Amino acid sequence: MGTLGRAIYVVGSWIRVAGQAVDRVGCSLQGSHLFEERVSRHRTLMNLFDKDPVVDKDAFVAPGASVIGDVQVGRGSSIWYGCVLRGDVNSIRVGSGTNIQDNALVHVAKTNISGNVLPTTIGNNVTVGHGAVLHGCTVEDEAFVGMGATLLDGSHVEKNAMVAAGALVRQNTRIPFGEVWGGNPAKFMRKLTEEEIAFISQSATNYTNLAMVHAAENNKGFQEIELEKSLRKKFARKDEEYDSMIGVVRETPAELTLPDNILPDKAQKIAS
Amino acid sequence: MASLARLSRKTLATAITSHRHLLRRALATEAVAKVTESPPPALPITESPDRVKWDYRGQRMIIPLGQWLPKIAVDAYVAPNVVLAGQVNVLDGSSVWNGAVLRGDLNKITVGFCSNVQEKCVVHAAWSSPTGLPAETMIERFVTVGAYCLLRSCTIEPECIIGQHSILMEGSLVETHSILEAGSVLAPGRRIPSGELWAGNPARFVRKLTHEETLEIPKLAVAVNDLSKEYFNEYLPYSTVYLEVEKMMKSHGISI
Repeated sequence: MGTLGRAIYVVGSWIRVAGQAVDRVGCSLQGSHLFEERVSRHRTLMNLFDKDPVVDKDAFVAPGASVIGDVQVGRGSSIWYGCVLRGDVNSIRVGSGTNIQDNALVHVAKTNISGNVLPTTIGNNVTVGHGAVLHGCTVEDEAFVGMGATLLDGSHVEKNAMVAAGALVRQNTRIPFGEVWGGNPAKFMRKLTEEEIAFISQSATNYTNLAMVHAAENNKGFQEIELEKSLRKKFARKDEEYDSMIGVVRETPAELTLPDNILPDKAQKIAS
Repeated sequence: MASLARLSRKTLATAITSHRHLLRRALATEAVAKVTESPPPALPITESPDRVKWDYRGQRMIIPLGQWLPKIAVDAYVAPNVVLAGQVNVLDGSSVWNGAVLRGDLNKITVGFCSNVQEKCVVHAAWSSPTGLPAETMIERFVTVGAYCLLRSCTIEPECIIGQHSILMEGSLVETHSILEAGSVLAPGRRIPSGELWAGNPARFVRKLTHEETLEIPKLAVAVNDLSKEYFNEYLPYSTVYLEVEKMMKSHGISI
């Protein structure tokens, strides 16, 4: 840095100090109504004394989610925005390839009225929809818990079973293989077809891919975010569809393209 | 009572131990069967040392995905702990309240003029919808979406009210001037005709709305909008947290 640069830097720091002084004056004028913002104290993974959450390196945990206590999250799983996994009095096990979507809550019970211990176990490739509440229950592999469903203590969702959206599964209910239960309280509605069972595992893999994109985005540092912001601004006018119409082929920078594996059938959809 | 239960359990235990060999023989076939269908060993969990347990930035409000950058109009109020990801458009005068998640990673999400998405809502868009409608989530103008709602690829036409805790699944359509009661569930591909009140799980027709009630709907949206203005004024355009981060970095000896 030259002498001029140093001089400008010093002047800049003076002005900043002045600005902070103005800020303090403003704060004191606001008086008791002032709220001073603090650095976020939200903890994504939080241990309770000796209960540490164990999260696989390939799992996606959104920074806004809270994973507390004795929780194990397997490979390829995803815990989305605003989720709460609270394994404080008992353990939560989440298998691999499972997704727990936004604002869902998973909790455990120490003991229920009949006295048996109820950890929450979620198997592999399970899809737990938005806003679901899972309390002390067991969900086996490749099950599907729909949006806003509530699973109460001791309920058991067997393999390939499905809890429809908005259902409330009461205590100690067992949902058998390949059935759909819905309503409040949950009742048997129909059997799942083969295609739907295939769709469940398909949606789990889709979600795993989608989670990887989100994980990459959320793990970015400040520098990277700023760089991409400027890139996005630069390329905003150069819309791919418009350009192809007038016969220009432009390459978007690698940072701004999404992988195609979010949806495996995407290319096929466009073609049809 | 408890002591009696304990006593009976103890006697049961002794009874079982005395006949254990008999019991075991009876259960032997079952045990063999169990062993053969043991579940495959769970994948070992490998923790990574560089997973962040505490991000000093907290959750970012705007999460761009690739080229998709969520857009917020200048006079829309979005609470600081809302998550907007991907193709989300929050248009003028609308408000998104605390704890909501709007995740447009597969399709577009639009929150229209003067409509509001209240606390802890999740708005998501599926890749495709079962009906002919586009699979984007469209919330048009003067719509009130209550707290804890879950919307997925649905279309809500102007001037509707969606009650609290209601769930709208893929490809459902709520036409103009209709009200969905609290806690209702709209199955995939359902349509609510205009000027009707629906409720229940699954949602059913209750009654037609009177003219006065349909006039009330935009008034409610405007009232929420007025409230959001107050919130909007409370938040300054730039937070001063960076000062605290600088201070923290200085105290840890990290050069800026």
